[in-house]
Amino acid sequence: MKQPDEFYIGWEAKAAPGIGKTIRITVGGLLAVVVVAAIAFALAQRLITDGVFEWGHLKMVSGVLESQPYPHLLVTRPGKVAGLPGFSSYYLVAPWKFGLPQDAIAPFAGKPVTVKGTLIYRGGQTMIETKPEWIQATAPSAPAITPTPVSLGRQTLTGEIVDSKCFLGVMNPGQYLPHRACAIRCISGGVPPILVVHAQDGSLTHFLLVSAAGQPVNQQVLNLVAEPVEITGEVVRQGELLILSADPATYRRRK
Amino acid sequence: MGIAYISVQWNRQKKFYDAVLVGGVAVYLSVFGALTKSLFPFVTDEIMLMRAFGTAAFLLLHVILAIGPLSRLNPKFLPLLYNRRHAGVTLFLLALVHATLVILTYHAGSTVNPIASIFISSPLNGAVTGVPFQPFGFFALVILFLLAATSHDFWLANLSAPVWKSLHMLVYFAYALLVLHVTFGVLQGETHPLYVGATAAGLLGVVGLQLVAARKTRPLDEEKAPDSGPDGFVDACAVADIPENRARIVCLSGERVAIFKYDGKVSAVSNLCQHQNGPLGEGKIIYGCITCPWHGYQYAPDTGAAPAPFVEKVPTFKVQVRGGRVFVHPQPNPAGTQVEPALIAAPATIL
Repeated sequence: MKQPDEFYIGWEAKAAPGIGKTIRITVGGLLAVVVVAAIAFALAQRLITDGVFEWGHLKMVSGVLESQPYPHLLVTRPGKVAGLPGFSSYYLVAPWKFGLPQDAIAPFAGKPVTVKGTLIYRGGQTMIETKPEWIQATAPSAPAITPTPVSLGRQTLTGEIVDSKCFLGVMNPGQYLPHRACAIRCISGGVPPILVVHAQDGSLTHFLLVSAAGQPVNQQVLNLVAEPVEITGEVVRQGELLILSADPATYRRRK
Repeated sequence: MGIAYISVQWNRQKKFYDAVLVGGVAVYLSVFGALTKSLFPFVTDEIMLMRAFGTAAFLLLHVILAIGPLSRLNPKFLPLLYNRRHAGVTLFLLALVHATLVILTYHAGSTVNPIASIFISSPLNGAVTGVPFQPFGFFALVILFLLAATSHDFWLANLSAPVWKSLHMLVYFAYALLVLHVTFGVLQGETHPLYVGATAAGLLGVVGLQLVAARKTRPLDEEKAPDSGPDGFVDACAVADIPENRARIVCLSGERVAIFKYDGKVSAVSNLCQHQNGPLGEGKIIYGCITCPWHGYQYAPDTGAAPAPFVEKVPTFKVQVRGGRVFVHPQPNPAGTQVEPALIAAPATIL
């Protein structure tokens, strides 16, 4: 049977029946593809973590402020947990892509303070986003906390350099190549750089990066952010923090 | 057809088209967003939205790029082409939201200007990590903006169809940039085989469809002009080769000519519609006028002029019918020039 010579004119009220049927089938197929693609693309995501940024929720946290090598707050842990120190170490950073300016917090170094800020946390590590004007000196209410550095020896570690703020939860995901530009902006703004090491069992350990002399290395690591690097240096446990001391010039990019 | 410019001349089919378009985008964003929030409750809203809008834009671009070759392969897909520009503008808006979220989250709030940060914050380092995937996306967005901003018929008329069409061919360059943007960006982090497979399948699909459609039209382009006689007319085809109210397209002196048969007559006009250079020879005589298959622009077959009050015109060609064959003079007449149609049957002699 000869097919009708149908022709489509968009400005007419209705398409010819055969053309209309083809389009209805095509649109139905497209919508099915849309739904399947949305489900598949959402399911296949692997990088989103359990990091949390309590944006919009300010909290008050009291502890002892330490300014070196990067600003952090030592907070007495309620109760005793075997194998853990009696205090937690919370990184302190400023809003946006900045660390806390050393000169602004210098007067508080080693002293008890109350910090108002937003919590950022992932796994067992916590950070507080705050401002210098939100830090207030307080009267000592507990014995001074003095973490004792414990050397874990010279180690060679392979991992990825990330900015601690995004990694812990401000961005989620806050690592790997798509996040490189943001990590470089954050680290160059003073956010502590950390080396994230993946263990074979899937667990993550992160090491705060400092120079061989124990100084911040923000500006020296920018060209190696968000890619596999190998670092050999001295590892020190200081309270909860693992600190990796090495000259950034010795960092090696892994192929 | 246009005589005055209004934003959109709505009709039932356009409303249906846009409802499906907006509905499809909304379904994608809703399903992706809700599922992502459900599976990953700690995901930040800006990352979820960035991913939803980015993937939606890339998916829609594939659909848009498939419409052209599909319509060349089967005219029944032409309704998808009719309002393709609405899909293009939607694509730009999706990409703009994605880019805005990227700039606000990854680049704003530092000592560097957020736009400058796109270009300097991920410097070349001799490794795959230094491939500037965000600048690829930035330049693709600039192209998509140009295409969206000039998508209205106002720009089509003022730039002329060939210039407008050349400009809008940049969509393929934008697509190439976006494939690089995705390959050296998210695929370096999200390594699930589905993403790599979908990107590769999309690329193969777009290139494959273009190649298949090009193969279909290439024999026409390569057709050589038959030898012309002493009067300059060229033997173009047999009358019987042309379906009633339809045309046969021939290539004469490098130009495509559409030869229409209707009401016992034959007329020839340029194959290029003045609107978007659509293939008039794939059109049909409707209400006595050649009607373009792309957007329904109409021209009288003997004058090449749109019926009043419309003003579009296409070149016409002198045509003769001798011995069941159609002869066309390859020299085009100025657009809108009246040419007497050739009669297929000789007029009866009255004794």
